[in-house]
Amino acid sequence: MMLVVSAVAVSILLFTLHGAQASVRADFGREFRSEVAALHAAQAVRHAALAERCRELARRPRIHAALEDGALDMLYPSTKDELADIMEPGGQGPREGAAYALRAHYYRFLDSQGRVIGPSDTRDAGALTPGEAAQLDLGRLPAAPQTGYILRDAGTESERIDEVLAMPIVSSETGQTISAIILGFSPPALSGEGAGTPALSGIWLGSYLDLPSLPEAARLALGATLSESAATSGGDHGSFDFTSAGAPYLVSFQRMNPGSLFPPAYEVSALPLSASQAHERRLVWEFVGAAAALLAAAFLASGFLSGRLSEPVKRLAVDSEENREHWHRAEAALESTSQELQRSARFSADASHQLKTPVTVLRAGLEGLLASEQLGAEAREEVADLVHQTFRLASVIEDLLLLSRMDAGRLQIQFAQVDLSQLIEGLLDDIGAQPDVFDLEIDAGIPPGLMVTGEKRYAELILQNLLENARKYNRTGGRVEVSAGREGEWVVVSVGNTGPAIPPSSQGHIFERFHRGAMGENLPGHGIGLNLARELARLHGGDVRLISSGDDWTMFEVRFRAAAP
Amino acid sequence: MTTARLSAVLTAAALLLQGAPAILGAAVEGKVALPKVPAPPVMNKRYGIISNNGVLSTYPPRAVVYLEGPFPKGPQPPMARMVQKDLQFDPAILPIQVGTRVEFPNLDDTYHSVFSYSPAKRFDLGRYRSDERPIPSVLFDAAGMVTLRCDIHEHMRAIILVLDSPYFVVSDPSGAYRLSGLPAGRHVLRAWVDSRTTLVKPVDLSDGAPLRADFP
Repeated sequence: MMLVVSAVAVSILLFTLHGAQASVRADFGREFRSEVAALHAAQAVRHAALAERCRELARRPRIHAALEDGALDMLYPSTKDELADIMEPGGQGPREGAAYALRAHYYRFLDSQGRVIGPSDTRDAGALTPGEAAQLDLGRLPAAPQTGYILRDAGTESERIDEVLAMPIVSSETGQTISAIILGFSPPALSGEGAGTPALSGIWLGSYLDLPSLPEAARLALGATLSESAATSGGDHGSFDFTSAGAPYLVSFQRMNPGSLFPPAYEVSALPLSASQAHERRLVWEFVGAAAALLAAAFLASGFLSGRLSEPVKRLAVDSEENREHWHRAEAALESTSQELQRSARFSADASHQLKTPVTVLRAGLEGLLASEQLGAEAREEVADLVHQTFRLASVIEDLLLLSRMDAGRLQIQFAQVDLSQLIEGLLDDIGAQPDVFDLEIDAGIPPGLMVTGEKRYAELILQNLLENARKYNRTGGRVEVSAGREGEWVVVSVGNTGPAIPPSSQGHIFERFHRGAMGENLPGHGIGLNLARELARLHGGDVRLISSGDDWTMFEVRFRAAAP
Repeated sequence: MTTARLSAVLTAAALLLQGAPAILGAAVEGKVALPKVPAPPVMNKRYGIISNNGVLSTYPPRAVVYLEGPFPKGPQPPMARMVQKDLQFDPAILPIQVGTRVEFPNLDDTYHSVFSYSPAKRFDLGRYRSDERPIPSVLFDAAGMVTLRCDIHEHMRAIILVLDSPYFVVSDPSGAYRLSGLPAGRHVLRAWVDSRTTLVKPVDLSDGAPLRADFP
């Protein structure tokens, strides 16, 4: 009987451990695959943006002349101006932290044999050492865009590898590929911090593993293991367990440039298992402890009730079967919820790439157009207006993304002490600096040192939305009044303004998404400001409310939790 | 004797003395077998020059037949013309002797910007309109093929063939040509067909009935 109890306990223990391990692996694999998918989507956006530029380049008579009339020395001088806006200002200027920058550090052309044509002047085309330039030789002209990764000779620890993109230049006249242009960019930010996995991410070039967050010895050993694993699996992806200096890792790798003429490069993600193993060990001890207690109890019980021992044990077995059934069901439900969350999280990350990048490209194109000399005054004004619209579009996208992150439960407030008095004064300064069509009077009664708990940028966004509304929905010669004070455990800010009242029928709906007041037809905005403000305030543990509206006076109130003094 | 007649006689005498092209002299005629060039794609209908796998030829195809030089340097050859009209260069191919100056009048209502990156002559006339005076011109001082392009109109293309010889002619589209006023003796006759192909034929020229020389 004792043996049966022990066997059941041990098998439950093993089963649980196995389940925990499997779920860690499954989560890691899913996270890794979705990161690589997001990377490929971002690459596609960059390809599309640059393909249009290459089509334009291929139409330029001077490019044809340089390539076809034996004047390769004229190639770079002829493209200098065409490519000026693709290049980072100053060529080697500071690399921006953007996750996937559109500006290149350098560019090179390939001749008809797929060899790099050296630039006459590296000030415009960006500098490369001979070793770096040699990595750009493709041996033939590509028919489609190719992604590659090259090792910089003098890069810093965190910038050893560049992503390069080779775009074919196809003659508009004959349809033949006459050259290719290769642009070098900062590699995509492989953070691994995506949805909370503490995995280490990097790039493996076959000869070199760029994973600065891994200790040097472990990095070298992992590089060697990757070579073996890639050779034996023979495929473009794989995963394996890896131990270095007693620290275990779960490693996944996947090719970032499948089918490319450039040498293969892989995204590598290493998940340290020490934390989960410690967790497993704790689990083992808890189980052993529980089992020991169970056994001791069973010994005692057997002493007293030796004759009727079989009955409770039978019941115990049935109970544990039922428990396991419940546990399975709960786990399945949890799994599907977690997948759902991951999907929406990934959607907002993707949407951010997919929406923001085209707007940036659009703006860059319009600004380029604006810089062109051929533009008439009227067209220039229109283009300038379009540039302005791209900023509005970007801000709408920003707000929508913020909302979608909140909807997905992905927005976490980093609570800290925020000086609300200072914040409000800063915002009032900003409003004072804007053009004032209504000639408004702004009254503010803000005692100094009102401290609340929250995250500064979101608290600022809430107040900014309320103040913007007070300014927008006002009347000529009107007034905006801002007051703040402490009420028990709250800090309450009231924003009042003159102007048309919100009709009583609308008052119940103004916090709904995409609701705009009847008088707002001609005003800028997109009907998510108040919704955003309220949702953010609620995430802070506070709220935004409409206190009153009518008789030339509308007043909103926002409350934050006061910080402990 | 009028002044005009006198000057004509004097010019003829001077040319005879120099042994340079004379009104009389040997002649050669024949036919150049021109390659079948695929019709240019519809979008490029305006091309006078087409490019096929990087090989430039005229469309419709024509050959330039010339007597291979060098010949003693004669007087400064007269100015040649390459006009820009209806968004095309005209003629599509222009053979000239080394040392010839070519003017590039713009006869369109729009700007053109003629340039060449060819090793035989690199130049850039910049943007100009039909009222540009003096008419921009370029002196071609080295033999070779010069590809002309317009920086504004990507389809515009023409070839200037700078030759070490004063004896040249452009064939008709069937390939037929006739060169006269040539110096008697053994020479090499060449036929430029496209940027990659020049056919060669040795000829023994004598005064009298024209020699028949077909390519190939």
